[in-house]
Amino acid sequence: MSREALQESLSALMDNEADELELRRVLSASDDAQLRSTWARYQVARAVMHKDLLVPNLDIASAVSKALADEAAPVVAPVAAVAGRWRGLGRLAVAASVTLAVLAGVRLYNQDEVMGTQLAQNNVQPTLPMPQVQGAALLAGYTESSEPVSAQQSKASTPSQLNWHEQRLPGYLRQHAQQAAMSTSDGVLPYARAASLENR
Amino acid sequence: MRGLSYLLLLGGALAQPVSAADAQDWLGRLAEAQQQQSFHGTFVYERNGSFSTHTIWHQASGGAEVRERLLQLDGPVQEVVKVGRRTECVSGGLADQVAEGQSWPARALDTKQLSAWYDLRIIGESRVAGREAVVLAVLPRDQHRYGFELHLDRETGLPLKSLLLNEKGQLLERFQFSTIEMTPPSEADLKPGSSCQPVRFVESKAVDPKAWHSEWMPPGFNLNSAVERHSALSSQPVACLMYGDGLARFSVFLEPLNGATVEDARTQLGPTVAVSKRISTTSGDVMVTVIGEIPLGTAERVALSMRAGDMQAAQ
Repeated sequence: MSREALQESLSALMDNEADELELRRVLSASDDAQLRSTWARYQVARAVMHKDLLVPNLDIASAVSKALADEAAPVVAPVAAVAGRWRGLGRLAVAASVTLAVLAGVRLYNQDEVMGTQLAQNNVQPTLPMPQVQGAALLAGYTESSEPVSAQQSKASTPSQLNWHEQRLPGYLRQHAQQAAMSTSDGVLPYARAASLENR
Repeated sequence: MRGLSYLLLLGGALAQPVSAADAQDWLGRLAEAQQQQSFHGTFVYERNGSFSTHTIWHQASGGAEVRERLLQLDGPVQEVVKVGRRTECVSGGLADQVAEGQSWPARALDTKQLSAWYDLRIIGESRVAGREAVVLAVLPRDQHRYGFELHLDRETGLPLKSLLLNEKGQLLERFQFSTIEMTPPSEADLKPGSSCQPVRFVESKAVDPKAWHSEWMPPGFNLNSAVERHSALSSQPVACLMYGDGLARFSVFLEPLNGATVEDARTQLGPTVAVSKRISTTSGDVMVTVIGEIPLGTAERVALSMRAGDMQAAQ
């Protein structure tokens, strides 16, 4: 297959206009280093056009591939009769972990934190380690600014720090909201903000 | 956001001057409507992690004082009754953190002052709570405050819907009427419920104006109040300075650490950001916490700019 045809397929894929044949063509050639670099360049170009956040050298795909390679072991089942069923389950598990890896990658990608590859590799267990994924977006919790790790991890390592903030922050927030609610004539919005803090 | 993209489309020089003057008129009508128009209705308030419904009864009849009662309809009973600029009673924990010096008289909306820091534009029409509305964009002129999208009732000028948007146009909070009637509420409706209690102020004292100063403030923000109270946790004196630009507000809390090792921290709760930074003073380290409806970067910069002592003494 010519490289031009492949690039055309890739371009169509990027524009969301690829048919199934083209998608298969690109995917089957996705081990090709040149194609991968072209793909990455297209992504950068598109991100620039759309003014998206960008971490250019974050190769989630490689991380996912590596994760999949590590995952292959449990698929092998000794009894031939159940092998088919297990293979299906294994696939499901792999699919789940790929989804998770991509989700984790994308989330951090958006947050401009270069933790994506690491997370993509760590989260390959078929069980869903959801707390870890949520931790990155946990707005209500008080996450440490210095380390982009999950809330659970930072809580475990530094209980006293979080306690200092956790003890004081609710009071500060309420003081701020209540003062605003009491001091404006159009107090409806500040009132609603103050009330929403009491509902937690 | 659709509103903002409309704005880009309409941003031509032709539409602009007329629109800006009109927009100021509408904001003026809003302020006037609060004092002149009686109404009652229900509204929703939504921010990240919280959704609640409320009823409001608002009585404004020419010369007499404005009476207003607010009641949350779901979850715990939250109630406020206001007469004029005074809070007559509140329920539960809704005002247990208010210090006397802090319950300053209400301030009216100053459209002239606002237009120095916000670009006011009419960006379209909409329909809210079954009523025709004019959509007013209140866009920040710098990166130190958020923008609003206000939907004002075409007939009365009352705000029927208010959206707070960050610099990327993402929605931070929504306030929106679901039903509203422009008729005066009955006396019975304005009567406080049994759980509504007079405000009990927290003991506090004024902060020595020379105790703290800030080396940088976002333009347009002024000090509104400064009080000191004792922390319920450590009985340490905690200073609280409050700033506002006429629309956005933030508070700065300064609490001595007494040798405790505490890391810096930050978080975002819907429209409200909280940033804690440790600073050193001659009498030990102090944790500065900035809380307000301002962008994270601005809050960080304010926190880093706080200094102990007088401005003159520092120079």
